[in-house]
Amino acid sequence: MRAVRLLLFVVGAAATAYGGSLLLPQLGTAMPWLIGGPVLHDVLVAPLVGLVGLALGRLVTNRFRRAWIVAGLMASATLLLIAVPLLWRPPSAPPNPGLPDRDYPLGLAVGLAVIWAAIAVVLVVAATVDRRVADRRTDRP
Amino acid sequence: MIRRPRVPAPEDFTAPSHSPLVTARLGLWLGVAFGLCFGTGLLSHYIQHPPGWFTWPTRPVNLYRVTQGVHVLSGVAAIPLLLAKLWSVYPRLFVRPPVRQPIRLSAHALERISVLVLVCAAFFELVTGLFNVAQSYPWGFFFPTAHYAVAWLVVGAMLLHVAVKLPVARAALSTPLRRRRAVQAATPGVDDRDSSERRAFLRTSAGVAGIAVLATAGVTVPWLRRVSPLAWRSASGPQGVPINRTAAAARIAVPPDWRLEIVWPGGRDSLSLADLAALPQRTAELPIACVEGWSASAHWTGVPVVALLRRAGAPTGRPVRVTSLETDGLYAASTLPAVHARDPLTLLALRINGEQLSPDHGYPCRLIAPSRPGVLQTKWVARLEVLR
Repeated sequence: MRAVRLLLFVVGAAATAYGGSLLLPQLGTAMPWLIGGPVLHDVLVAPLVGLVGLALGRLVTNRFRRAWIVAGLMASATLLLIAVPLLWRPPSAPPNPGLPDRDYPLGLAVGLAVIWAAIAVVLVVAATVDRRVADRRTDRP
Repeated sequence: MIRRPRVPAPEDFTAPSHSPLVTARLGLWLGVAFGLCFGTGLLSHYIQHPPGWFTWPTRPVNLYRVTQGVHVLSGVAAIPLLLAKLWSVYPRLFVRPPVRQPIRLSAHALERISVLVLVCAAFFELVTGLFNVAQSYPWGFFFPTAHYAVAWLVVGAMLLHVAVKLPVARAALSTPLRRRRAVQAATPGVDDRDSSERRAFLRTSAGVAGIAVLATAGVTVPWLRRVSPLAWRSASGPQGVPINRTAAAARIAVPPDWRLEIVWPGGRDSLSLADLAALPQRTAELPIACVEGWSASAHWTGVPVVALLRRAGAPTGRPVRVTSLETDGLYAASTLPAVHARDPLTLLALRINGEQLSPDHGYPCRLIAPSRPGVLQTKWVARLEVLR
């Protein structure tokens, strides 16, 4: 294990140094885009996720239901992120037939609707099953 | 109870998603996604800037379509995986540095720096890649070289990170997520609930990565074209294939006396469009597979480059430089490696899907070769030069 770690360390350091040397001529313009990700994430996104998680923990006490709502939120956030370049696009590129040629807001809305409809179905079915089981238990003498 | 606000400590985060068992598994998946991204990206880089030892096969004709599709889709899958992984380790951001122990402090600082490089580079690659596929460039650097350089940063910092974390990760990966029945029966309660929440978080992360891929895979997987709402390209476009660079954008004006020039060491020849059309034609179904991950197949009709060279008396089996009418622009010329130049499916196409090439598709003729990035399929061809 020691040898493997040492090897990983040497190769990793070499690759990092190589990448750094390749980036050097563009480091100035690339810097905001390098630093921006972690700063936005650590200062804005992660605390927001934590707050939403805390609020959800208070509002939805059923763990099964909460897990599905969390899944829906994660999927929605991912689709929204992927859609950003398609929805917000500086008109620098010349027009290209076949590129962004769909109704992306509509597609995104339909995608989100499908996800939440599927989750709603799961939750309703689970609630019905739960109620039946509970009813059957109370029916017994 | 009112507490004074303070900087949180790692112990304040009690959710099961912060367990090392979750972190290690997400790290492994993210490593696979980034590994695929890096491998296929490196291939694409070498195809466009081949070092002497590199060769790229011409078969299967869809090979580049597949590798580049894997490149962008593994990148898309990495977006939710990276966010889940960062959420899993977020408490570690608040670990207090061991200020009074200089040796441990320097080790701590080095680890933090390597992780910072990794996170910066990982976000950079995913964000710039995502904007590039939409052909949106809201930055000042040149995308291909920056994306390539930072890819090495990601891989290097990832290997360093694995080197540091290997003992922890190995222990976590060899601990099963689901407690065995006997153990569970002995200690029911909190552990049991934590274990099920850990599995739920992992399942959700994997599921969301799948949804992200499904939402975009239509750019290159034909049967998903109607399913993916966020595919940045459709298969449609003039004559059934999308266009990346129009004739107007490339400022192409085809001269009325256009002739294809063929040049080789010790000879030259030229053909008019009518001459080309009079030669035996071959039709082949080949994809345009763009570096941006989208691809679309079409039926191309034209003269095989190798037949053209043979007819002119030029040597075959050598690299051929293909030059466009386009005067400026990065892709105004490309070099066909010898393997591609002698492949009978490498065509100088005059027609697409049974129609004459439109100006945007490269009228009067364009190069179309199997298993090659779209940017190298030179349009508006003016000259073929056999290299030594």
